[in-house]
Amino acid sequence: MNDLMIKASDVGKAFGDRQALDGVSIAVPRGTVLGLLGHNGAGKTTLVNVLTTMLPPDRGTAEVAGFDVVREAHQVRSRIGLTGQFAAVDEGLSGLDNLVLIARLLGASTREARARAAELLELFDLVDAAKRPSRTYSGGMRRRLDLAASLVGHPEVIFLDEPTTGLDPAARLGLWEVVERLVTDGTTVLLTTQYLDEADRLADSITVLAQGRVVATGTSAELKAQVGQRSVTVTLADRSDLPKAQEALERAGLHPVPAADTLTAPVTSSRELAVVVRALDEVGLEATELALGEPTLDDVYLTLAAHAA
Amino acid sequence: MTTTLTAPRTRWRGTDVFTQVLVLTQRSLRTLVSDPRMIVFSVLQPLVMLTLFSQIFASIANTPGFPTGVSYIDFLMPAILVNTAIQSALQAGVGLVTDMKNGVLARFRSLPIRVGSVLVARSLSDLVRTAAQLVLMMLFAIVIFGFSPAGGVGGVLAALALSLAVGWGLGWVFLAIASWLRNAELMQTVGFLAMFPLMFASSAYVPVGALPGWLQAVANVNPLTYAVDAARALCLAHPVTGVVSALTISAALGLVGWVFAVRGFRRPL
Repeated sequence: MNDLMIKASDVGKAFGDRQALDGVSIAVPRGTVLGLLGHNGAGKTTLVNVLTTMLPPDRGTAEVAGFDVVREAHQVRSRIGLTGQFAAVDEGLSGLDNLVLIARLLGASTREARARAAELLELFDLVDAAKRPSRTYSGGMRRRLDLAASLVGHPEVIFLDEPTTGLDPAARLGLWEVVERLVTDGTTVLLTTQYLDEADRLADSITVLAQGRVVATGTSAELKAQVGQRSVTVTLADRSDLPKAQEALERAGLHPVPAADTLTAPVTSSRELAVVVRALDEVGLEATELALGEPTLDDVYLTLAAHAA
Repeated sequence: MTTTLTAPRTRWRGTDVFTQVLVLTQRSLRTLVSDPRMIVFSVLQPLVMLTLFSQIFASIANTPGFPTGVSYIDFLMPAILVNTAIQSALQAGVGLVTDMKNGVLARFRSLPIRVGSVLVARSLSDLVRTAAQLVLMMLFAIVIFGFSPAGGVGGVLAALALSLAVGWGLGWVFLAIASWLRNAELMQTVGFLAMFPLMFASSAYVPVGALPGWLQAVANVNPLTYAVDAARALCLAHPVTGVVSALTISAALGLVGWVFAVRGFRRPL
């Protein structure tokens, strides 16, 4: 039985001459969470837009809940929920009216719509504010209302596009708990994020996007193994020495990547700090600062870039 | 907790176009009712024009070329009605852009509803808003300025309906512009630049015969002249000639606007 709830094959999308998606393929089984990891501009939102039928792909095909996102957009739309980076609520309407509106548009009767809205307001702790215009809501309340709105139709697949950007830590934790409950209910979730810890906590599988391409796929553990445990960042007194230092580190078998006035190289163990110091010493350079960093999304990129080179 | 977030008891699969339009129209009107300041403020501008023009240009009624036995307010008011409807049409576009900006339309796009429903609902709710504005203006004119044209209640209501039709047709043009420009400030500027000169280079405020020659040429091909002339003829119980032209032009504008609005609106946000 084919139980993939999201299936994208070789999806491409260009804006002008910028290739936002360049042959992306993903597969998400029912009831699992795919974490889509990438920086701004990596193509995460474009992919979400294609999968939620908002943007037709230039090439490739995509199916959500078993329906083609281009030819069967209507069927897809009645089975998905979407929460974007900005709360998409009608500010002139109350929280209650916002949810009733969505339910009515999905095909609920007024009665059913009111019942579903009441249920969601309760779950998202918005009962007290239910009848106030949503323009009076705080940022956190708005995001909760937005998430509630995306759940009105009991969606089979939910797309969360950077749902925790701009949320305070408590609200972030609250959202994580909601996502975990969704999965318990059997919902399939595609979550985009810039934060490795978020993907780590929620996702069954992680796909890393960079410049519109899938650069890595795997579980959190698999990715971390691929990333290496840590990275070393070298700061020099004189930044004009950076090329010289880079050469030295490369000779020592590392893969340094230059930034504005630092060099960062992925390392497998802290012992490689010594390798760095020795390599610099050989060419007569001394680091003003040597920092050992825990793996971050940046390191995923750095490592993958190094592997590609 | 016993309720589940997503597991369905019944699954909704979307609804028919009629319900979509109804629900979406109700939604826009509800926003309007929740903040009636919009209606009040939107009649302020035509009210100011009515007040100023009825005083400043009152003596035009005594000049040759002006229809005899007609007071300036009775001459002016039909033009103010058309003007109010046109301003209101511009607001339809602004409203659409506002919805795009605050993300509501992004939400609608992820729902199983038709693009056209969203636009028709927007247009219908603006029709209701415009009607409210026109009635309000009419009451002001009757009570404060002594507007009592020869056409009587029937003529005035016909003029009001005509203005509404003209505003509705033009509203689609602004919805089309809105769905391509997607910027409220730009919309306002384009609308003002287009409509302000057209309003003056027409029969709205003075008889066309009183305009300089080159402006007469503009006024004679200006579609607004048809609309104003028709509304005025209805109010003043003059032989009605321009109604069919005015309605035809509005319908044509509406149709073109519809085609471009739907096309523009389909483009990704």
